[in-house]
Amino acid sequence: MRTIGFIAVRVLLGAAGLAALGYGVDGLLTMTRATHPPQAARWLVGGFLVHDFVAVPAVAVVGLVLTRFVRAPYRAVVQGALLVSATVALSSLPLWRGYGGAADNPSVDPLPYGRNLAIVLGTVWAVAAVLIAARVVRARRARALPAVPDRP
Amino acid sequence: MRLLTRRLPHPPAVLRRGPLREGAFPSRLHDPRVAALLGMWLGVTFGVCFLTGLVSHFMQHPPSWLEWPARPTWFYRATQGLHVATGLASVPLLLAKLWTVYPRLWEWPPVRTAAHALERLTIVPLIAGSIFQLATGIANIAQWYRFRFFFTVTHYWVAWITIGALLMHIAAKLAIVRANVGSGRAGRAELTDRLSEPEPEGAGLSRRGFGIAVGTAAGVITLTSAGQFAPGLASLDLLGPRRPDIGPQGLPVNRTAVAARVLTVARDPGYRLEVVGPRRFVLTLDELRAFEHHTSKLPITCVEGWAADATWRGPRLRDLLDAAGVPSGATVRVESLEARGGYRTSEVNPSHARDPLTLLATGLNGADLDLDHGFPARLIAPNRPGVLQTKWVHRVVMV
Repeated sequence: MRTIGFIAVRVLLGAAGLAALGYGVDGLLTMTRATHPPQAARWLVGGFLVHDFVAVPAVAVVGLVLTRFVRAPYRAVVQGALLVSATVALSSLPLWRGYGGAADNPSVDPLPYGRNLAIVLGTVWAVAAVLIAARVVRARRARALPAVPDRP
Repeated sequence: MRLLTRRLPHPPAVLRRGPLREGAFPSRLHDPRVAALLGMWLGVTFGVCFLTGLVSHFMQHPPSWLEWPARPTWFYRATQGLHVATGLASVPLLLAKLWTVYPRLWEWPPVRTAAHALERLTIVPLIAGSIFQLATGIANIAQWYRFRFFFTVTHYWVAWITIGALLMHIAAKLAIVRANVGSGRAGRAELTDRLSEPEPEGAGLSRRGFGIAVGTAAGVITLTSAGQFAPGLASLDLLGPRRPDIGPQGLPVNRTAVAARVLTVARDPGYRLEVVGPRRFVLTLDELRAFEHHTSKLPITCVEGWAADATWRGPRLRDLLDAAGVPSGATVRVESLEARGGYRTSEVNPSHARDPLTLLATGLNGADLDLDHGFPARLIAPNRPGVLQTKWVHRVVMV
C-alpha cells in the first residue's frame, strides 16, 4: 500500500503547505502597519490557549456534571441539544450580546437578536423534549413487555 | 532521515500525571475515524472558505493580468455569501473535531521522534489560525472591532498560514484517514497503528449521535443566517448580521454619509459631475437627471457576506464615457466626494464600464437615491464587491 504515488502525494502536499504557511507568515510580518504583529500574535496565541486550556476543560466539566444528573438514554439527547445550543450561540455571539454595529447605521445588526436566539434555541430544545419523550415511552414499553404473560 | 525517525528518550514516568495518565480521556468520541470524518468535512468548508476568500481578495486587488468579467451578475454574491456561510458552519465542525483529538494534546511521551515533534508543531499554527479566522470573521460581519489590527489584511495573511498548516496536516494524517475511512478501509489497516476501535457501550452521546448533533448545529447556523445573501431565505434570517430589506429605501448600508463625512458636500447645490476624457464635460445634478437613463436590477453584494436586490435608475456609465470620447478599451476611475478613506475611489475595468447594466445611478427603488446610498450619484455594476460600488460620485476619469 505504501506506494511511490502515495508518498509523492504526501511530500507534495507537505511542501505546498510549508510554502503557503511561509507566504502567510512573511505577509503578516511585512505589512506591519495593517497587521500589527504583536496584536495579531496575541489573538492567535490567545485563541489557541483559551480553547485548549479553558473551553475544552469547561466542556468536560459540563459533561461530568451531566453524567451525575441525567440518566441514559436521555443524556445523549441533552448532550446533543447542548452542543447545538452552544455552537449556535457562539457563532452569533456579538449579535445577541449587542457588541458591534454603529450608532448612526441602523441597518447593521438590525434584529432583536436576544429574542431570535431564544426562538432558535427554544425550537432546538422543543425537538430535544420530543426525543426525550419518545425515549421515555420506549423505555416504559420495554419495561412493560416482559411483564405481559405469554398468550397460549 | 535517520535523525528524524530516531526514538528520543522517554521522560521519567513520574511526570505522567493528570491528563497525561493513561486512560485519562475515556469518551468513545475520541476516535480516529470520527476525527477523520469531521476533518474531511472541515477540509471542504475550509477549502471553500479559502478559495472564495481568494476570489474576494483578487476582485478588490486584481493583479495586472486579471480582468474580472461583469457576468454572471450573481457570481460575487454566491462566492462571498458562501465564504461567510461556510465559515459560520465551520464553528461546530472545528470545535467537534478538536474535541475528538483533544487527548492527543496530552499524549505520552510528548515527543517520540524528531519527525513527531515537527508534526506536532504544525498543529499549533493550524489550531491558532483556524480559531483566529473564525473568531475575527464572526466579529467582522457584526462590525465588532475589539482588535487593533486591520481586519481584511490580517484575515488574508492568516488564511495563508491556516491553509498551509492544513495542507501539512493532511500530508501527515493521510495514512490515518485512508485506514479509517472508506469501504475498503479494512484492507488499508496496516498503514497506521491508529485505528478506530469498535464503539464501546455507553450511556452518553454515541459517535453517530455526535455526528448528527454536529450536522444539526451546522444546519441551524446556516439556515438562520444564509438569508442575508440567499434569495428566498430572508424570512429565516434570525441570526444574520444583516437583513436584505432593512435599511434606507429598504436596502442595507455599510458606510453612512455621516461616517463618510460627506453630508454637506453631497447636498451642496453647486454639485457637478465631471467626466474626464478626450472631450471632458461637466453636468449639474439636473443635467445628470436629464441624461438618457435606464433601469438595472442589480444586487449590492457586500464583502461581509450579505447581498440585497434593488432596482437602480440612472445614465449608463458607457453612455457618459462615449459622450466624453473615452475609448471602449479604457479603464476609468470613479471618485467619491469623500475627502479620505481607502475606498474613496475605485477603478472600473472595460468589461464592467461597458456593460449595459452598469449605471451611474441617481435613483433607487423608484425614488431619488438616499444620502446613505450615495446621493447624488453612485456606481452600480454587476459582479462587483459592494466596497467598489463607489458612492457620492463626482468625477469619472479615464486612467
